[in-house]
Amino acid sequence: MAGLEPAPSPGPARDGFLSRRARQQYAALAWIQVCMFFNSLRTRRGNFELGARVVTFIIFTAVALGPSIGLGFGAWAMASAGHLRAVALLLWVLFLSWQGFSALAPALAGQNPELSQLLRYPVSFGSWILLYLIYGIAAPSSLIGLLWTAAIGIGVSVARPAIAGWVAITLALFALFNLLLSRTILAWIERWLAQRRTREIVTGLFLLLALAAQALNPAFHQDYRSPRYSHQKQAVVRLFDRAARMQGVFPPGLAIDAFAEADSHRTLDAAESLLALAFYSFATAGLLALRLRAESRGENLSEAPRRSPAARAGAAKAHCPRGRPLINFSGPTAAVFEKDLRYLLRSGPMLYNLAVPLVMVVVFGGTMRGGGSDFLGIRHTYALPLAMIWAFLGLTRLISNNLGAEGHGIQFFFLSPTPIRTVILGKNLLHLTLFLLEALAIAGLVIFRFGAPEPSVVAATVAWILFAVPANFAAGNVLSIRMPYRANLARMRRESGALGNGLSSMLAQFSFIVIGAVVVGGSAALGHPWVATPILLALAALSVLVYARVLSSVDRVVESRRDSLLLEIAK
Amino acid sequence: MLFLPRMSPAISVRNLTRRFGPFTAVDNLSLDVAAGQFFGFLGPNGAGKSTTIKMLTGLLSPTSGQIEILGLDFAARPLDVKRQIGVVPEGLALFGRLTASEYLRFVGRMYGLDRDTTNHRTDELLDFMNLAAEPKKLVTDFSHGMQKKLALAAAVIHGPRILFLDEPFEGVDALAAGTLKAMLQRMTERGATIFLTSHVLEIVERLCSHVAIIHQGRLVANGSLDELRAGVAATLTGPDTGQKLTLEEIFLNVVGGSGAATSEEPVQELSWLA
Repeated sequence: MAGLEPAPSPGPARDGFLSRRARQQYAALAWIQVCMFFNSLRTRRGNFELGARVVTFIIFTAVALGPSIGLGFGAWAMASAGHLRAVALLLWVLFLSWQGFSALAPALAGQNPELSQLLRYPVSFGSWILLYLIYGIAAPSSLIGLLWTAAIGIGVSVARPAIAGWVAITLALFALFNLLLSRTILAWIERWLAQRRTREIVTGLFLLLALAAQALNPAFHQDYRSPRYSHQKQAVVRLFDRAARMQGVFPPGLAIDAFAEADSHRTLDAAESLLALAFYSFATAGLLALRLRAESRGENLSEAPRRSPAARAGAAKAHCPRGRPLINFSGPTAAVFEKDLRYLLRSGPMLYNLAVPLVMVVVFGGTMRGGGSDFLGIRHTYALPLAMIWAFLGLTRLISNNLGAEGHGIQFFFLSPTPIRTVILGKNLLHLTLFLLEALAIAGLVIFRFGAPEPSVVAATVAWILFAVPANFAAGNVLSIRMPYRANLARMRRESGALGNGLSSMLAQFSFIVIGAVVVGGSAALGHPWVATPILLALAALSVLVYARVLSSVDRVVESRRDSLLLEIAK
Repeated sequence: MLFLPRMSPAISVRNLTRRFGPFTAVDNLSLDVAAGQFFGFLGPNGAGKSTTIKMLTGLLSPTSGQIEILGLDFAARPLDVKRQIGVVPEGLALFGRLTASEYLRFVGRMYGLDRDTTNHRTDELLDFMNLAAEPKKLVTDFSHGMQKKLALAAAVIHGPRILFLDEPFEGVDALAAGTLKAMLQRMTERGATIFLTSHVLEIVERLCSHVAIIHQGRLVANGSLDELRAGVAATLTGPDTGQKLTLEEIFLNVVGGSGAATSEEPVQELSWLA
């Protein structure tokens, strides 16, 4: 029996995550990634994807470098001036940004690996966790976080070279904690969003927290000169004082404690803070392990309710309920509309994507209103059109890859006697409905926060929407057919092939925003704000024509790309 | 090569070819399937069966050649053809995040059935296929056999005149397979044509009146089972030629024994396997 696996030992197998077998597995996985990368370069699509990756990397690097210089310089300045404990503020910024980027911006969360494919192989649980974390390190949010951590570390070390070693160890542990926490949050959010009941609870809590955060926002208080404002300001200052005293028990505060104690040569106290930080990391790792353990055992995250055999037997005898139609009109367009709506309602991550822009408007709306100067009144006057840009963001994935979630179901569209343009129209109608709902909600929030906008601004905003929506749908339909990728609606991950599509879609959206800004800004600068509306309406007529043209050519284009569409989406 | 006479065709294929780069998956295939026939389309792995069925159903465009379904040119009138056919393709074409009932109602509407007819047929099909017991279960959570039954239900909901089935019984339990076979046979009795591929030769032998065999992209046999038997028997010499040949024996004989070891040939072994 040469070559066969040796007979299993009587006890359980002990394959550590650094065992020979584990190392072979990592090597095999790395090798397969390299093969897949080079194989992907054989196609034009693969090359475009690589180009998009490079462009995205440059953009993220540019975005990350500025703050990292600021954080490094700030840390140096604070530590040099003898305010080492004030660096806590920077660590809190780092901590909240790292976790916020990861949870609120899926593009920054990176690829959350589909490790369930490894279930069939003898991969140990330790290896499972390690692989999950390696993917986590490669996420843009982690890379940005690591860069900022390094910047703070360098800043403090240059100012206080004597504690450079302590700073390095503490920040390494702090970075590990952040990495673990971001992956834990992502893993648990995915878990909660996978099922209806937990999804509803999470969404409710999420919105409640976002709204509650506004209570702390000084921007909520309208008149900065009133005595009431002064009282509230004092209350906020007291609250911050209390928070500053309490923050010492949380990881950013513990990290700063470790710095400060080491700086005062109280090594034992510094080690104690480090130990507490390690405890946080350990506890977070435990939570992550709890989640990943269930996944590694082949957990089924289905929507189907668990039912007892007795209940199943009862149901078998009962008459099968027909199920309520979501919309009460027939025809293929309505069928596609209804089918996609059901898909959306069953996809936690997609609902989450739709909710995030609303939350962003609520959270950052306060900053817009109160923080900093209001240059020429632009932010006040144009709050409505600026906020409308957000309304598009939650729909980007849906609009620019509208066939991606079909999986093997895409075959059905080629088998049925319904033209593909009817299918695309049904999808566009659903996305239009969602956009209008989101736009209405955002408009409501803007009016609530900033008051009613100028009529000329309202007219220009409506005209811009009439231009941007068909243009966006036309671009989205082209991208959906030309650059499709298989989307997994059950997971909050960036899918393979999504980068090129996402970048192209963002470029298209950016150009529509620039056109709107040039027209509205130009006419306002010339002192004739009403001129923007007819210009944008003329552009809207043009964009409707382009949309109709794209829609009428959909069947022909899809026919010519049928093989690659099926290959990409039903693979 | 064995070519035998046919009746007037429900499916007519002429010089059908499909190339993938330098590789020719289907090579100059010509074939007629008469209306009302239960037609088995066989071949070893990689012979071109699925490629052919994809071209016949509109999932893949041919490199060259002509396909006529019920006298309609597929290339010229694809939507009219699709209204007449039902398909259970290789990937089943299901939408995983719908329930069975939602999926069938969706399919019915995509074929242009009115709401009442769709609802009525959906209920009937779910009962018939024993899929009504778990109305809230999503398709993605179905077993493979249940998904197969649902795909078959979707393929017949609009009452097609021709049914294309790619491995319809794979993963389906014996009880359900019996029900499905009875349903398919009743369909052919009423005049429907069924075009089926399967690796289970016993099923094909029991169900199909006519069989074609494709090998390396080329059609190597086509006719009724009796005609194929007679054709193969005529080429054989030896003591067993008088016995009635099974479809498996015909198949092995026609595809040239590739992959089939005779008793005289040494069987290749994997030395490391227990």
